[in-house]
Amino acid sequence: MKVEEVVLPGVGRKFTITVQSGDRLVIVVHHSGKRELQYFEAGEEDEPSATLDLTDEEARELGAILAGVLFHPEAVGDTQSKLGAKVIEWIKVLPGSKLAGRKVGEIPLPPGAHLLAVDRPGAPLIPNPGPEVVLEVGDTLVVAGSREAVEALKRSL
Amino acid sequence: MHPSVEAFALAAGILALGAALVHRFGFPPLPVYLLTGLLAGERLPVEELEPLPSLGLLLLLFSVGLEFGPDRLRELSGKATRAGLYDALALPLGFLLGLLAGLDLKGAALLAGVLYVSSSAVIVKLIIDLRRAANPESEVVLGVLVLEDLVVALLLALLGGHGAGGFLGGVVMAAFYLLFARYLGPRLVRFMEGLSDELVLLLGAAFTTGTALLFHAVGASEGVGAFLSGVIAAGLGLRERLEHLFGPVRDLGVALFFLVVGAQALKLLKGLTPLAVGLVASGLFLKLPLNHLGGARAGLGKKRRLYSALYLVPRGEFNLVLGNLALAQGYPLVAQVAVLLVLLSIPLGALLIRYAPEIGERLYPKAPKSKRVAPSRLG
Repeated sequence: MKVEEVVLPGVGRKFTITVQSGDRLVIVVHHSGKRELQYFEAGEEDEPSATLDLTDEEARELGAILAGVLFHPEAVGDTQSKLGAKVIEWIKVLPGSKLAGRKVGEIPLPPGAHLLAVDRPGAPLIPNPGPEVVLEVGDTLVVAGSREAVEALKRSL
Repeated sequence: MHPSVEAFALAAGILALGAALVHRFGFPPLPVYLLTGLLAGERLPVEELEPLPSLGLLLLLFSVGLEFGPDRLRELSGKATRAGLYDALALPLGFLLGLLAGLDLKGAALLAGVLYVSSSAVIVKLIIDLRRAANPESEVVLGVLVLEDLVVALLLALLGGHGAGGFLGGVVMAAFYLLFARYLGPRLVRFMEGLSDELVLLLGAAFTTGTALLFHAVGASEGVGAFLSGVIAAGLGLRERLEHLFGPVRDLGVALFFLVVGAQALKLLKGLTPLAVGLVASGLFLKLPLNHLGGARAGLGKKRRLYSALYLVPRGEFNLVLGNLALAQGYPLVAQVAVLLVLLSIPLGALLIRYAPEIGERLYPKAPKSKRVAPSRLG
């Protein structure tokens, strides 16, 4: 990945990001906080294939998602710090995930990671789900444990 | 109630009306301010509006100094500099035109400046409003504007004074300010960071107007003073903060300034000669081929070169400052050219920039593109 940065006097800064495939992303960060994004397909110089405007807030959230930082509900921030080296993580079952259609008992939980609950949209929370509960697309698994164990679980999925 | 409130309400009302009319068509409001002023003409109580329009111009020059100061030169890419050199050819050509029009050396130099400098304030606003900031030509155009503003600030410093005394005064003041920023600036940066926004706003306003007054008092151009205060403020690390704090105040002042320019234009343009019109016309077209060439040297594609030339059409703040100066020094022809050029180039430039993609499409029709097969992308 190649990143070029130039100053646009009076406007802000422009970043041109060329990724491995040759596609380019041009990002302008305005003084006002607005972000302007243009996407150019590889080999295309003049006309962007897509453009997108983001507010400052949207850009920050997008940035966090791109950086792989997961979002937690506000109230959890506190709990997490109390847990210290242990974390709580929300893992969503996405379409095509190998978790979909499997029983809870079949999830390869690493030692030190625990499944606290399954949150199914439109249904009451399933606390301490038994091994016979079948996971569906759209479910969110609430997993707690040591940071390494939870990370290992996320990687294995 | 003070009569100025009435004048202000009237001015703000017609400005808002004009801006609202074009907003529906996705058109930038700046040219409308000028045209509204032109329509209102002498019915607009200009004197009552003061000091807002004068303040608007000073703040405009201040923010140009803030954003387009000499420290930007270091950040300029080579391509922008190359384009800027071609652009600067307009200076000798304008000078020549001035001599041909029968002006003396100083008058011709003033005319060269009027024809040469494009308005960074207007162009930046158009680029942002029309969402062109991410385009490759914008980078080149903004770089060219940095060079232009510096050259014209120098030109104003050279020509701005009343006689040799004014020139010397200006140079001494500028040297004093720059030395101050160089040696005391770094120490002041941290101090400034601790100040409240309100205090920074007031200090900035006092500093800008005070500097302009001081420059005026020693017989130099107050425009250079305001520009220089922006440069100094940027040197003190206040760029983002002041831009943020002054933005709305400046925008209001600038709207009123352009309104007043429009309102007073007719009076100034009385007795307009064909010579002045000819100079304006050549001024409008002089830079197009130069900037087209410059865009090519900066490595822009065919269409983008054309865009970059069109982007640089609008003239504004510095042209009017030069025009005022010319009027004060007894060159009414140059003043007329400046006012008419600004009056025509802003609406025309806004139209050209707005429709640049359509013009480009017309001139360089796109070859049928071979469709790229990318199933994985769609999956």
